[in-house]
Amino acid sequence: MALLEVEHLKQYFPVSKGLLHAVDDVSFTLEKGKTLGVVGESGCGKSTLGKTIIRLLDPTAGTVRFEGQDIAKMPAREFHKIRPDIQMIFQDPYASLDPRLSIRELIAEPMRIYKTQPTKEALNRRVDELMDTVSLAKRFENSYPHELDGGRRQRIGIARALALNPKLIVCDEPVSALDVSIQAQVLNLLQDLQKELGLTYIFITHDMSVVKHISDDIIVMYLGQIVEKAPAKVLFQQHWHPYTKALLSAIPVPSLHNRPQRVLLQGELSSPINPKDTCRFAGRCAYCTEACKNGKTPALREIAPDHFVACHRVQEINALPDAT
Amino acid sequence: MEKKTTPIAKVDDLVIHYETRDGVVEAVNGVSFEILPADTFGLVGETGAGKTTIALAMMGLLPYPPTHIIRGKVEIDGEDIAKKSKNDMRAIRGKKVSMIFQDPMTALNPVVGIGDQIAEVILLHERCTKEEAQKKALDMLQMVGIRPERYKDYPHQLSGGMKQRVVIAIALACNPELLIADEPTTALDVTIQAQVLDMIKDLRDRFGTALMLITHDLGIVADICNKCAVVYAGEIVEIGTVEDIFDRPQHPYTLGLFASIPSLDKDVERLQPVKGQIIDPTDLPPYCSFCDRCDRCTEQCRAADPKLVEVSPGHFVKCIFARKEAD
Repeated sequence: MALLEVEHLKQYFPVSKGLLHAVDDVSFTLEKGKTLGVVGESGCGKSTLGKTIIRLLDPTAGTVRFEGQDIAKMPAREFHKIRPDIQMIFQDPYASLDPRLSIRELIAEPMRIYKTQPTKEALNRRVDELMDTVSLAKRFENSYPHELDGGRRQRIGIARALALNPKLIVCDEPVSALDVSIQAQVLNLLQDLQKELGLTYIFITHDMSVVKHISDDIIVMYLGQIVEKAPAKVLFQQHWHPYTKALLSAIPVPSLHNRPQRVLLQGELSSPINPKDTCRFAGRCAYCTEACKNGKTPALREIAPDHFVACHRVQEINALPDAT
Repeated sequence: MEKKTTPIAKVDDLVIHYETRDGVVEAVNGVSFEILPADTFGLVGETGAGKTTIALAMMGLLPYPPTHIIRGKVEIDGEDIAKKSKNDMRAIRGKKVSMIFQDPMTALNPVVGIGDQIAEVILLHERCTKEEAQKKALDMLQMVGIRPERYKDYPHQLSGGMKQRVVIAIALACNPELLIADEPTTALDVTIQAQVLDMIKDLRDRFGTALMLITHDLGIVADICNKCAVVYAGEIVEIGTVEDIFDRPQHPYTLGLFASIPSLDKDVERLQPVKGQIIDPTDLPPYCSFCDRCDRCTEQCRAADPKLVEVSPGHFVKCIFARKEAD
């Protein structure tokens, strides 16, 4: 059984102009011990997806099955028991920590709420252990978040997420606010923890090179929908959706050789408020035809084993044999 | 335009300190470089390396106090800007040197229409009527790919990418000789970043503007620059052409930066980050400031501060292990 199964998940927000479709019919499954990368540009709904999965937001429709149980519609009281298994690491280590708590208190907080440690000594021991796990020196235990730099703050965020021995961690842009040399340290730490503790990650980011490095499978999102889904190794060799092509070619490569031919996208993201039932990428797509503009939203189809693409013309554009 | 070989900007042994309650921040420590009229010069480094301080010094925009220029000078077009009066500096900024800031959301005036914000610069620097300035502003808007009917729009009506385009239009409105871009695309999405970078490249070529690009993204440097300097703790640790830096880097910090970036075309099991944290600029050692994070550090490194060594013509490395390149 997969650890997490998400089916037809929708998250709509009422705004003054109508309904904002932040997450629109997203489905995927995630096996234990794997990492699912979710990429897309700002406003594509990737953070909302993460928050909806861990139920910081109640979904508009759809199911989220964690170890077989539907947690999307479970009463809050019951979900409280499952919460320790599903944790989140937030993007901004400057904003996600209570400035009035010391490092020790911050890391102890989740365990205090869930009363997982019977005695004060046990709690202190566990905090020491966690600080050690994320390589925070003991001398920082009485410091406050503002006294630390971004990399160390993010380590506190990771220690808090680990405090309750979770099974699934949703990492929402955990390294975006960090400098590259520090970013690499935190990525290595996350990978080591996964190996040691058998963690499962949903890794949300806009950085394609980071997502390639850490993921087993990758979902590419555009305006609330999955446009392409494939194993990480495959996606960087064969990207079939026009948006994925453009996204990958837009990354500045830190080398003077084999620079990719850039596919420039025209225009900007269209509005996610009351979107029409057509391909949402049509307005920016170089391959768009009248049929794309007027047809229905393309379904996510399995074009090759484990490789899903939502595009009407995917076979045509990529000269692939017609699959049925 | 005639070809000039005298540098448009010259920074010479610049040392800048900030005074704070926690002590003196040694932000820039003896930085020298030149930008020729045809150059696109990349300044790369991590947070707190002093990149923006260098740029602000070149614009004459450092707040004083708490900033003190301890030593060194900045020459724009052969003239020392420290000797200029406030009014003279106003004439230089926007006309000879312009700057694009990182965050387009805060660089624009929220209560003035975007077109008039462009016209404002033109009116300030050029002898023309309001109508002429507005017409030129309209041209600039079109040049950066914004439809003329949006002239009267306010900044909040535009997306991030469009705001950055307006900022670029303002910076280029008076055809400056040098454009300083401080992380111009960091706040933007990759596909929009690609659009804006292509536009900057195109305008640079069309106007023949020299460009100084401050970034932490080595990919952007490879994309757009011909020369580049790597900054660490307020010092240039390596400087040269992009070929020097990308194909033949020597400084351990430069090498560490490259090893920290996950590669798109190679599969790397584990990244090789630079160990430790970025050094505290209030407490710099008298020896090589990269010592504590360097794998090759020896006793000798802690004995004295290394000098920049020229390893091949124009390629300098600040490390005692720097070796001359065999031709």
